Amino acid sequence: MNKNFYTSLLFMLATLVLTGAAQAATRSYTLYITSGNLTVNGTGGATIPGWSYTDVPGTPKIPGPALTVNEGDTVNITVVNNHTLSHNFLIKGVTTDTTAIAAGLSRAYSFTASTAGTYLYYDTLNNNINREMGMYGALIVGPADGSSKAWTNGPAYTFQRTWIVSEMDKTRWNDVAGAGGAVATATYKPNYFLINGRGGSDGMMAADTTIDGTVGQTALVRIVNPGQFANSLHFHGNHIQVLTLNGVRQSSPYRELDVINIPPLGTADVLYYLNQPGDYPMHNHIAQMETANGVYLNGIVTMIKMR
Amino acid sequence: MNFNDTKKFAVAVALLAFGTANAATINLSKCVASINKTMSDGASVTFWVFGPAGGMCTGALPGAPIEVGVGDTLNLTLNINGMTPQEAAPYNGHTIHLHGADVATAEDGVPETGAPVTGDTYTFTPAGNMYGSYMYHCHVHTVKHLEMGMYGALIVRPKDASGNFLNQITASAATTYDYVQTYLFSTVDPAYHTATGDSTVFADYNPKYFLITGAEGKTTAAPAVSLAAAVNKKVALRLIGLHSVGGTFEIRDAAGAAKTFTAYTEDGRALPTAQTVTSLDVSAGQRFDIIFTTPATTGAWYPQISYKKLRDGAAYATAYGKVTF
Repeated sequence: MNKNFYTSLLFMLATLVLTGAAQAATRSYTLYITSGNLTVNGTGGATIPGWSYTDVPGTPKIPGPALTVNEGDTVNITVVNNHTLSHNFLIKGVTTDTTAIAAGLSRAYSFTASTAGTYLYYDTLNNNINREMGMYGALIVGPADGSSKAWTNGPAYTFQRTWIVSEMDKTRWNDVAGAGGAVATATYKPNYFLINGRGGSDGMMAADTTIDGTVGQTALVRIVNPGQFANSLHFHGNHIQVLTLNGVRQSSPYRELDVINIPPLGTADVLYYLNQPGDYPMHNHIAQMETANGVYLNGIVTMIKMR
Repeated sequence: MNFNDTKKFAVAVALLAFGTANAATINLSKCVASINKTMSDGASVTFWVFGPAGGMCTGALPGAPIEVGVGDTLNLTLNINGMTPQEAAPYNGHTIHLHGADVATAEDGVPETGAPVTGDTYTFTPAGNMYGSYMYHCHVHTVKHLEMGMYGALIVRPKDASGNFLNQITASAATTYDYVQTYLFSTVDPAYHTATGDSTVFADYNPKYFLITGAEGKTTAAPAVSLAAAVNKKVALRLIGLHSVGGTFEIRDAAGAAKTFTAYTEDGRALPTAQTVTSLDVSAGQRFDIIFTTPATTGAWYPQISYKKLRDGAAYATAYGKVTF
């Protein structure tokens, strides 16, 4: 590639930085509803039928892609239903349109991003089955200036993570729904517990789940629970500060906790200050949720590495 | 002040307020005993419990509370030997995790980050911002070992200038109490007690017994724990969540009316604003330290926890304690 290409690229990037820093943008996304499989690796692992929103047609992603915007942005989302059943798309606390999108059709959603924070998007249809199959993801709204703060003039962070915690009942729900059968929803005994769609020990080391940084840094962790079970997440190494819980911004000084309870469809934004060198786990304290079909140490677990 | 400065300030205050002159060193040793408990339905369930080390290991469910003052140093030793009940590899041995203490990795008791499972000493010096209820528990194959009963209360207490424990939850005199009792919440699925290793049993939790501080307390007439207090006095309860389901704590009178109480700490930190409520959700791993005032006329109140399903919050069962005055 020639020098002109790089010059143009630099110019485009500079333009993006300059305009993005001060002005509201228009952000457009297309999500495709797709069926496929979720693979849980390692001992106790399995291939689990699932459905998802994805930005790559034909390739399911559980959870769906993160939608990252700033306050004031105009957000346009088109959802294309490539599946054989009806689905919908709701961003809890942001959109209100729960109209079903029939198989083969699509639907557009548009809104102006308002309050900075973390939001859950999911499919509300089919008696929780669509959600359980993997139809969820997160909308991240940053402050208008795009700075590394929880909100405008709010607490600052060095880096952020989004943890989407969920669970699946492979035998009674996913295998049945994936084969086109009717799920008896009264019984739900999930045997796979997921953080960002990983249910094996590999979730502990994944770059998108680990809090990995140097002492003196601060991580903003955005937690989203699209599952049907309450989660009780325990942090080793340091306490967290709770900034936002279930959409309610907390007041300063923030509560300092080492366990946070996230109910079904709940969200939380917490700060983890990297205070001492060492390796620590973050895990669900509901012990059966740290397993993959009973095999420990899997499920809703990750690592905190302070260097 | 930002978060960082707040921390530094807290440490500085701690050093000023709690110099080393009256700091105690507490050396304790624990062993692990296997005990059989007869449950309310007559069934026998095997538990592994922390007992005092020395001679033949014996103990009760839960392990004895450990109290440490702010600024003191706790050296907690776990002894493991050929008699210690344990699982086969890779889940052999045990550790002690000081839950909420935020200690160095080498003191944290987590095998996956290098903790030995054949015995160790765990050191903890509570800083000046730490008050109230913590817990100690085994961190080996916790899906089984927590369930087996390998836990107890760890309490951090404020001290006066002479080094004596203060009868208050935090450094604030507003948290002064006349009586104190620990309510340690746990649940029991007998299938988890007989299963071992990588068993699918551990994917499905079906609790059958619902405990407060190791006892069932199925009715107000047969409470799990009881406390004889006086009228017009302050009673502190240390709520410690070692259950693996949901839970809601309340205090009710004999007629079933809910009573107010005030939470001063959560997870071993003073709450920025004390919360006066009539019910409190306690999830797995959480702790609260609360105070209520007994009324002017004699009677009894019943602190209680409704254990709840993780999916829909539906009640499994309620376990009761009792406070007379």
